Amino acid sequence: MSGSAFNRRTFVKGAGAGAAALVVGVPAFIPRLGEAADALKIGVLEPYTGTYAFPGENETIGIQMAVDAWNKKGGVLGRQIEIIKEDEQSKPDVAAQKARKLVNQDKCVALIGTVSSGSSLSVQKASSDMGILFFASGGHTDDVTGKNCTWNTFRTCHSTWMEAHATAYTLAKKFGKRFYFITPDYAYGHALQTAFDDVIKQIGGTTAGTDLTPLGTTDFSSYLTKVTPAKPDVLVVLVQGDDYTNCMKQADSFGLLKKFPVGGPQVELEPLYGLAPEARTGVWGIEWSYSSDTCLGKGNKAAHQFVSDYYAHYLNTQKKPPTARQCFGYVSMDRMLAGMAAAKTTDSVKVARAIEGEKFQSIFADGGYYRKEDHQLMWPMWVAEIRPNGTPKDPNDLFNVVAKHDPDSIEQSVAEKAKICKMTYPS
Amino acid sequence: MLEHVGPQLFNGLVLGAFYAIVAIGLSLIMNLTGTINMAHGSFMTLAGYLAFTMIARGTNFWFAFLVAPLLAVLVAIIVERTLIRPLYGRDPVYSLLLTFGLSLIAEEVFHLVWGANTLPFTPPAVLSGTLALGFMNFPVYRLFIVLVLVLAFAALALFLYYTRFGLRLRAAVQDSEMIAALGTNTQMLYTINFGLGILLAGIAGVLAVGLLGLNMTTGNTLLMPAFVTVIIGGMGSLYGSLVAGVLIGIATSLMTLYVPAASEVIMYILMAVVLTIRPRGLFGEEGLFG
Repeated sequence: MSGSAFNRRTFVKGAGAGAAALVVGVPAFIPRLGEAADALKIGVLEPYTGTYAFPGENETIGIQMAVDAWNKKGGVLGRQIEIIKEDEQSKPDVAAQKARKLVNQDKCVALIGTVSSGSSLSVQKASSDMGILFFASGGHTDDVTGKNCTWNTFRTCHSTWMEAHATAYTLAKKFGKRFYFITPDYAYGHALQTAFDDVIKQIGGTTAGTDLTPLGTTDFSSYLTKVTPAKPDVLVVLVQGDDYTNCMKQADSFGLLKKFPVGGPQVELEPLYGLAPEARTGVWGIEWSYSSDTCLGKGNKAAHQFVSDYYAHYLNTQKKPPTARQCFGYVSMDRMLAGMAAAKTTDSVKVARAIEGEKFQSIFADGGYYRKEDHQLMWPMWVAEIRPNGTPKDPNDLFNVVAKHDPDSIEQSVAEKAKICKMTYPS
Repeated sequence: MLEHVGPQLFNGLVLGAFYAIVAIGLSLIMNLTGTINMAHGSFMTLAGYLAFTMIARGTNFWFAFLVAPLLAVLVAIIVERTLIRPLYGRDPVYSLLLTFGLSLIAEEVFHLVWGANTLPFTPPAVLSGTLALGFMNFPVYRLFIVLVLVLAFAALALFLYYTRFGLRLRAAVQDSEMIAALGTNTQMLYTINFGLGILLAGIAGVLAVGLLGLNMTTGNTLLMPAFVTVIIGGMGSLYGSLVAGVLIGIATSLMTLYVPAASEVIMYILMAVVLTIRPRGLFGEEGLFG
């Protein structure tokens, strides 16, 4: 008999190694007592299950990349940074409950994350109740930096107002002023629709039809059959995530994509990768692109470094290039840590004061700043035409960036925002 | 408004046929063994993923379309024999909890194997494009779905009513102890019946991913309407599921014309109304599940 894999000899060896370790000291990979307590803990709330699992994963990668970069430089305030992740499942109630858990139980000094607007708003509420800094990396609805704005919350991705204003003029100029809308029936969709109505009023356009589709609609056929008789100049698709994939897939099967130009205020690489090339088409607002100098900034070393770091560490597991979600995660975490470094403390009020209004350069063109009055990140937004099959060199490179809009030209002015967002710091 | 009604009726018919086939699979399993299979959607998703993987590796669409549901059935038979069988004869809550747990596990397994990303699944060129029906242009793929579903219904009906096995199955639904006493291997009957239900789910799953994005939750999004279909149609009645499926499909489609916000809710309203007036469902047998 050859004996089992674990025989007397290996046992003796193992015990010997263990004894040696005890004599020499704890191996380096096991943190010593006290070291873990020294690490600066930041709570990450992202959806890792359900519809938004993919963008949630991608934002986390961006967050991790910023943490790694700061830790390599020696951390913040002389402490290494550690993130603690929780799955918020894109459910506002779960998100709020996990936010409290991260702060009360895990002793996180700040929170970051969320993809869906509902979760952003609920974490915003919970974190401001606790007086804890929160970076809403990925929920777009205006309210986060609008009527629900709070001193502790900074929002990185663009607001719905910015998205609609960056694309509506381009669509009207390119295709005509008669719009047909497929709008998701919840906060995010309503906010987009309001912003589009604002543009339509300004340019003297018309609405050929609006369909409010419940979130999670799987069958869009009933809506899509109404589009042809309405004869719009352009079909504007506002739904996101799985709803976007289903809607575009079905619009293609009804032959609409060949009949009408299509576009919208926001498209992301994640759902586009879920579509066959024939359903990838149109003119859309985009929030970042890993391949375009118009987005990254010509000669912007930080941005190109970010993309090549990503390729070096994550391409094997993710199989896809970085998306706007990695950018949101990275920028949010990087600015949070920069704020702590500048304020020389983790005290939320002082850090928030250090962040607001502070101009910075990052992994996108021109640089940006979190506006003092509403804590919205003011950064450019871009418009892209979709390349169904990417480029000959890179089949994943779907965005052909055709325009860049400066933040001031697409976001409500400080004066307009002052009427909506009333921000008060704790005294 | 009125000119839209025709197309919407047609849309509703297709959607309804879809709900019906998922519901019939659920019904088959529920009728014979009292198992409320919450993992039904996971088997749909599994068949979709298997078909996707086969096609991505160069298999012909038609081959994948036939084989993927059968592979899902194979997995289902293993699950039935090892996990679900010990719970027969217990309260239905046990198998409900078990299959619910399985569906959660399945979702994470899909996540691990195929990633969180939605995958692009395209039907072959013959099935893409539209067909002019006079009152509207209708996607060929949806017509194909109707064709497949009609064939599946017909085959199932023939199987249940014109084969000895179908006869035993129907008899076992009435009184499985008596059938066992008369010398039928009821354990085998249960297994094959479970497989049959999952075969329908598998077919529906592969058809669904030509219509919807393929990700870990695809099947589960269609599961709720299917359960509602079973309840409206009445437990124990396959025809009931068919009628209820079409009813829900048409109601949902018409609702999008008038009150889109209520389009997802209308089936629950229908369910509430049916349950109030006729608690056993439209064609249901009285006394099933106490």
